[in-house]
Amino acid sequence: MSDNKSVMVIESEPWLGDHYQRQLESQGFSVMRASHAYAAIDLVDENPPSAIVMSLLLDGPGALNLLHELQSYTDTADIPVIVCSSMTDLDIDELRPYGVRQIINSTVMQPHDIVATVRSVLL
Amino acid sequence: MFVRDKLGRTMNAEGNRNIEGSVGHLFDGSVLSVAAAGELTSPLVLMRQLGLAVGADNISDGERKLLSEQVTLISERALRLTSSLNMTAVSQQVLPLEPVNPLSVCREVIHELTPMFSAYGRKITLQSRARVPLMVANRNVLQRILLAFGDNALFYGSEKHPIQMAITGRGDRVRIGVRDYGPAVPIDMWSQLEGRVSRRALAPLSSRPQASGVGLITAQRLAEKMDSVVGLVRHRDGATFYVDLNVSGQMSLL
Repeated sequence: MSDNKSVMVIESEPWLGDHYQRQLESQGFSVMRASHAYAAIDLVDENPPSAIVMSLLLDGPGALNLLHELQSYTDTADIPVIVCSSMTDLDIDELRPYGVRQIINSTVMQPHDIVATVRSVLL
Repeated sequence: MFVRDKLGRTMNAEGNRNIEGSVGHLFDGSVLSVAAAGELTSPLVLMRQLGLAVGADNISDGERKLLSEQVTLISERALRLTSSLNMTAVSQQVLPLEPVNPLSVCREVIHELTPMFSAYGRKITLQSRARVPLMVANRNVLQRILLAFGDNALFYGSEKHPIQMAITGRGDRVRIGVRDYGPAVPIDMWSQLEGRVSRRALAPLSSRPQASGVGLITAQRLAEKMDSVVGLVRHRDGATFYVDLNVSGQMSLL
């Protein structure tokens, strides 16, 4: 499957962001990177991605602030968000109102999980 | 010139807030161990992912070498924390002190941190007068404290704004500080750390997700073993974490 779709990776830890980017690009996705909420908002305004993969722990304003901001505008509210986190007590039902469609537990994830999950939310 | 308020905070002429840490004694070893487990999750997650990537078929030899180096550096950073935690747990009493040259300790610490900083495209520099007085410290403990400050600052500098380790004399005290350019630190940082660690709530400090503050608490506990003080100065564009130590009077007796 050729994926001419863009995915925004929002991750404060640059090496983990590099890793996600490698996985996605190897499967044909184009990847935008942001390390904090402000950069993510700027990128989304310039070029809205097909999906967002993000950590919950970000420098500066937190991830929930960013999710709330995305939900506040009709052109960004429908972008599917995948949360990738080592916090094992996350409840998808609590995050769904923020636009989160999937949660990946980063303590057990396999490299291909990120591509598979992005594809699942883009179906 | 500093003015101290009722909360123990002081403010200098430039308006920088100075806040001394005083929470380490509130934690028993088990609470800190739980907090440390949380702190170590991030590097372990990263190491696991990098390890899986090293084993993949579709990467070049150059990428494999880079990933292996990253795994090594991340594991060294995690081991620095575990070593410090071990030291706080094992040594319950005040540790033996001796006259220590702060310049040589800072140089050793920067030498140890530089590979990690370089790998992330960051820089750490040392600012000091050529001659600084000896101070009373436990060399190993002081290294641990400064390494914790350095690891804490890793993500909050750049080539343009290097992290600065600075040695300054303050009367009969010597201050070694590590200045970063990260997001603002809460004015009640130490009490926030206390509350979060006590509740075993392992979320990191607001706006600084790269560390939960366990390294800083560990540094504070280690400082107590040298009868010294750890604190921070809040700047508009970052923070300076510092340790104050007494100047050694030994040389003056000669």
